[in-house]
Amino acid sequence: MTGMAFGRKPDRTPDAHLFASREYDLVKEFVIATAVVLGLSLLLAGIFSSPDRKAITLQAWAQTAPNDVVATATAELAGTSTSASYGPPYNNAAAGQQIGPIKLQKWAGVRIRVDSARELVLNPLAGIQGDSTLADALHTWQQAGADQQSNWANHYADALAAAPDGNPGQVKSADYGPVPVLAGRFLQLAAGGGLDSLLASPNSFYPLDQTRALLLLSDGSYLEDQARAEHLGGDQWGMMNESGNYPGQPWMWLYTFWYQIKPFSTSGNADALVWGLMAVLTLGFVFLPFIPGLRSLPGHLGVHRLIWRPAEPDSRSG
Amino acid sequence: MTAAKRNPLIEAEPGPAESDRNWTARLRRRITRTVPPGQWLPDRQPVYVRSWIYVFGVATLAALLVVLGSGVVLSVGGSAWWHTSAVGHFVNSVHLWSVELFFAFMVIHLWGKFFMAAWRGNRALTWITGAVCFVGSIGTAFTGYLSQSNFDSQWISTQAKDGLNAAGVGAYFNVLNPARMLLWHIVLLPLFVGVLVIAHLLLVRRHGVVPPFDATPPGDAGRASIASDGSPPAVEVVAVAESIIISAQITTDPDDREVER
Amino acid sequence: MNATILPALAAGSYVHWGVIQISVANLIVIGAMLLLFIAALLVPFPGSANAARSGRAGSHSRSGTQRGQSE
Repeated sequence: MTGMAFGRKPDRTPDAHLFASREYDLVKEFVIATAVVLGLSLLLAGIFSSPDRKAITLQAWAQTAPNDVVATATAELAGTSTSASYGPPYNNAAAGQQIGPIKLQKWAGVRIRVDSARELVLNPLAGIQGDSTLADALHTWQQAGADQQSNWANHYADALAAAPDGNPGQVKSADYGPVPVLAGRFLQLAAGGGLDSLLASPNSFYPLDQTRALLLLSDGSYLEDQARAEHLGGDQWGMMNESGNYPGQPWMWLYTFWYQIKPFSTSGNADALVWGLMAVLTLGFVFLPFIPGLRSLPGHLGVHRLIWRPAEPDSRSG
Repeated sequence: MTAAKRNPLIEAEPGPAESDRNWTARLRRRITRTVPPGQWLPDRQPVYVRSWIYVFGVATLAALLVVLGSGVVLSVGGSAWWHTSAVGHFVNSVHLWSVELFFAFMVIHLWGKFFMAAWRGNRALTWITGAVCFVGSIGTAFTGYLSQSNFDSQWISTQAKDGLNAAGVGAYFNVLNPARMLLWHIVLLPLFVGVLVIAHLLLVRRHGVVPPFDATPPGDAGRASIASDGSPPAVEVVAVAESIIISAQITTDPDDREVER
Repeated sequence: MNATILPALAAGSYVHWGVIQISVANLIVIGAMLLLFIAALLVPFPGSANAARSGRAGSHSRSGTQRGQSE
């Protein structure tokens, strides 16, 4: 291959094979390194173990934070939950995030269609047999128009928010349509353990896809409350952290850093902006040998002088 | 090749017309040209390889082996084994801590290579494979965190989906589907990282360890002064552009220069 | 085998410094890495340049000219 006109500056680094050499045992070095690393791993594992906080089942969520479950079910019915108003890839309720004119989220389209109200709340409830009150409530809901449904659900959501602790039992009396019954039965279904398997891979024996269950869980506030208590929130440098006193992912420091500062910390497009910025920086990192200025930085910094120190004077005698 | 006795059954030297048609011979020649003779496992290194910083590459490799080994043991028990078995939990801990060591050693190795400007001397692709390996390792670790089937997985997946969806790839890499993420973690991404590691090691063997800045080999009076700005030649830029298929770069003759005798 | 030294899964200890929040565990890891890096640069590596002068004929290059690199 010959050089081409590329603003070329010749690299005259000599061939490493032309230099004086000394005996060096690569295999022994590798075996020793493996033994040391294995020993360290076993030691660290034996002393510190690893964190294993149990997954929050929908049942546990319902039993621990029932008011949150009722509020979440109501938000799903109102179409105001995070998943219901997310946009692609789940629905078209929003355009999603963008970087200036670049709307990658929107352009990717709806590929994992999730109708939050129907799939997360109504379908599971429809499977319950022998509950005439629930059956009537479902029928009333399905017969109503979209505006009426939204009206009921939003009013009930507001009432829950105004009630002490969001307690459904202390909601002001008003006409909320069938929503209180639907939300209440939903809580019972969850607390009884029946909801977990209904949302994982619906219509399949094997619960391999947890998309819907996780969307529902993250629509509530309980999951995030638990995470934030362990410093795992996005604005807590959470991407770097781990439960308890364990080291997490320190190599994620730069990715999570941007979320802590403006304009990212206050932007609705934070994820897209941070991702775009990190993509550019990563490309710069990968192609660093071709970036003028950066590629010559090591020569100026001089740390290499500690690596390649001159030989001792007595070693030069023959 | 001398005219010494040669077992005709092992390596019949094809004539010119035959060698072009013989795929086996062509492949053999490509493989043997990848690294200079005697350099697959040299028992000598240049004298300037004389610092502890050089051990972090092999330490990273060793840690990767422990990661893979502990991962294989975890596979025997299955993805939920570590929740119900003390032995399984211990193996999971080994896997976690070896990953921490892997990243620690890899980053120190990266620091060292940066300060050495180790991309000099036709070594840009060595840097690139290493850098992509680093990024790929982050992805592999990430899918590992998703595969824990515990609270961590729930939180990490529901958070990460926002970044991936914002980038338009969330549906093709659905982090809320643990069955899918587990297969990415144990098959696709280790394969990706593994291929890169092999390419990286081949390139290191091929080019040798980068000499110091302004270094001159002994008896090198005829050589021009060394440019130490670390800039790769334009030929390397073209090679990188062409080497989406890495083998195109690593199997041509290394270090295209006449060796002084 | 459960953790025997560190408390399991209580919220960890964190250091706050302006916008920076970092867990003590991560701080220890990063600190250890920096120390290791500095030590690698400063601690002398065993073996000296004399070994090169007494090196045997190398399998080290295509040319085989590594024998007697000493002047």
